Amino acid sequence: MSSETKASPSFSVANPPLSSSMTRYRVMVEKELLELVRSFKLLWVPLVFILLGIMQPVSTYYMPVILEHAGSLPDGTVIDIPLPQAAEVLAQTLQQFGTLGILVLVLVCMGSVSGERNSGAASLILVKPVSPLSYVGSKWTAMLMLAWGSLAAGYLASWYYTGLLIGAVPLSKVIGSLLIYGLWLTFVVSITILFSSLLRSPAAAAFSTLVGSVVLSLLAGLFPKALGWNPGALSGFASQAVVSEISDSGKFGLAILVVFIGMASAVLAAAGALRRSSAVE
Amino acid sequence: MTTLLQVKGLSKSFGAVRAVSNIDFTIREGHCVALLGPNGAGKTTTIRMITGLLKQTSGKMEFQGAAEGVHYRSLIGYLPQSPSFYSWMTGSEYLIYAGQLCGLSAATAKLRAKALLERVGISGAAKRRIGSYSGGMKQRLGLAQALVHQPKLLVMDEPVSALDPLGRKEVLELLRELKQETTVLFSTHVLHDAEVLCDDVIIIRNGQVALQGAIDRIRENHRKPTIELQVEQDEHSQRWMSTFSRRIQSLLNEKDEGALFQDVQLQNGIARFTVSEMDAARRMLIEELAREQVKVSRLEVGHTSLEDLFMKVVTG
Amino acid sequence: MKESIDLSQILPIIAPIIVIQLILMVIALVLCAKADHTRGPKWVWVLIIIFVNIFGPIAFFIAGRRTDG
Repeated sequence: MSSETKASPSFSVANPPLSSSMTRYRVMVEKELLELVRSFKLLWVPLVFILLGIMQPVSTYYMPVILEHAGSLPDGTVIDIPLPQAAEVLAQTLQQFGTLGILVLVLVCMGSVSGERNSGAASLILVKPVSPLSYVGSKWTAMLMLAWGSLAAGYLASWYYTGLLIGAVPLSKVIGSLLIYGLWLTFVVSITILFSSLLRSPAAAAFSTLVGSVVLSLLAGLFPKALGWNPGALSGFASQAVVSEISDSGKFGLAILVVFIGMASAVLAAAGALRRSSAVE
Repeated sequence: MTTLLQVKGLSKSFGAVRAVSNIDFTIREGHCVALLGPNGAGKTTTIRMITGLLKQTSGKMEFQGAAEGVHYRSLIGYLPQSPSFYSWMTGSEYLIYAGQLCGLSAATAKLRAKALLERVGISGAAKRRIGSYSGGMKQRLGLAQALVHQPKLLVMDEPVSALDPLGRKEVLELLRELKQETTVLFSTHVLHDAEVLCDDVIIIRNGQVALQGAIDRIRENHRKPTIELQVEQDEHSQRWMSTFSRRIQSLLNEKDEGALFQDVQLQNGIARFTVSEMDAARRMLIEELAREQVKVSRLEVGHTSLEDLFMKVVTG
Repeated sequence: MKESIDLSQILPIIAPIIVIQLILMVIALVLCAKADHTRGPKWVWVLIIIFVNIFGPIAFFIAGRRTDG
C-alpha cells in the first residue's frame, strides 16, 4: 500500500475541465436517483399522483350515486348533476395536483440541500473538486425527474380513466397541458431547492415555497391583465390548454420565459449560497 | 525538503469577531504537522479555510504543484471532526462515489475503494449501510474517503476527539502508519496526540500563532530544569514553605531575566521551582533548608515538560 | 342514471385505487419497521399508516423518519 500510494501518477486528477465536470455531474445525478430509489420516493410519489389522477374521474362519475346513498336526502329527490365534460375532469385533476401534488413534491425536496448541509455530508462532498453548481444541479435534475415522472404518470392515469368513464379527450391536448403544467412544477421545485439552500430549516423552506406559489397563483388569478404573465398563471394556462385553447398567447409566452429565467437564477443563486459557505454548523 | 503549503497572513472574521488573525505557517512535504490549541482557538476555522470550505477574509495560501487547470482541492484529502455520510449508502458505495467525484474512473475508483477499505480495516463492513456503523468505523471510512484520490496533503480536524479510548488508540495507530505515506496536517486540543504523531507543531491561541516549529526543537529550547520540593506537615516547615515561596514570588515580580528562580508554583503542598541553573539553585535551596531546619520529605530534580510549555503558552 | 351500486361493475374500476393504497401502506409499514428511529412512538405510526387513508402513509414518508448521517 505504501509503495502504491507514493508512486502512482496514473490516478491523475488533472482531467480536462469540461468533460470531467460533466462526468461528475452525471455521477452525482445517479447518486441522487439511487437515493430516490432507496428511500422509495421514486415509488410512492408517483403512486400518490396516480391515486390523485384516478380519484378525480372516478369520484366525478360516482358522485350522484354516492350522494344518493348518503341517505340524508328525502325520498323522491332527483339528483341531477350533469356529468361534466371529459376535458373539465382533466382540468380538475390538474387542480388536485396543484394542491396535494405540489404539497407532496415540496415536502419531498424541502430538505434536499439543507439536510446534507446540516448534517455535514455536504462539506465532505464539496471539499472535493466538485463545483457547487453541479452539486445543486444534480439535486435539481433528480427532483425534476421525479416531478415530471409523477405528473406524467398521474395525469395519464387520469386521462385513461376519464376516457373509460366519461369521454375521450385527444391525446395531443393532454400532452400539451401536461407540458405546460410540468413547467409550473419545474418552477416550484427550483424555488424549493433555492430555499433549501438558503434556509437552514427544511420546514421553513417548504413554508416559504408554498406561500410563494400560492401568492403567485392568486396574483395571476386576481389580476390576469397586469400579472397574468407570472409563473403562477401556468396552471391556469394548462387547464385552458386541455379544455379549449390558450386565449392570451402573448402572456403565455412571457410566462414560459419567466419560468426559464426564474429556474436558472434559482439554481445559480442556490449554488452561490453554497459557494459562500458549504455548511451551516 | 520542499514546501508543500505556504500560508501567509490568513485571517477570518465573522462579523466583528476575528476568529483567525494573520496566521503564517508552512507545511513541508512529508511532514506531519499538528495544529494545537484549546477549544475555540480558531483551529477548525483555519482548517476549513485551507480546505476551501470557508473563504478567508484576507491572506493567501500557496500550494506547490497546484498548476494551471488543477484545482488545489484535488490535492487535499479532508476528514472533519465527525464526518457524516449518506446513511443509506454502503461504505464501499460511498468510497466509489467519492473516488469518482475526485476524477477517478468507475473502474479505478472500485479498485481504490476495495484497497482502502482493507487498509483502514473495515472491509468486513464494506457492504453494510453506513447508518449502522459505529463512531470509530465512520472515522475510518472518513479516512478512507479522504485518501481515495491519493492527496498530497491529508487535512484532519480533531480526528480522534470524538472517539472512545479504544477507537482513539486504533485510529492513532492508523494515522501513525499513514503519515509515512503522505503529508499530514491535523488539529487537536490534546498535546499528547500531537506528541505521539507529529514532527512539527503550530500552537494557536485566540486565532493567532503562539508558537511553532519542530516539536523536538521546541522541547529542547524550552526545556528548563525544575526542582520539586515537599515538606512535612509540621507547623514550622509549612510556615517556612509559604514564606519562602512568597519571597521567590516577589523576586519574580522584578522581572530579572538572569534570576536564579524563573517561576514558582505552590500546589497541594508541593512547591515547583523552575530555575535557570540547576546546581546553583540546588545548593542555595539545600543550604536554606539546613539553616532553617526544615523537615524535607521530598526533593526532586526534573525538567519542564511540553505539557508545561503548552499550558503556559495557551493560558499565558 | 344508475339505480344502485353494482359491485361487479364497480370493482374493476376501483380495484386499482385499493391496490395502490395497499402498496403505499405496505411500503410505509416496511420502512417503519426497518427505521432505526421514528419521530414519536412506532406503534402510533403503525396505527396512522393503517387507519388514515392515503395520508397516513404519506405523512409517515415525509415526517416519520429521523435520518442521521
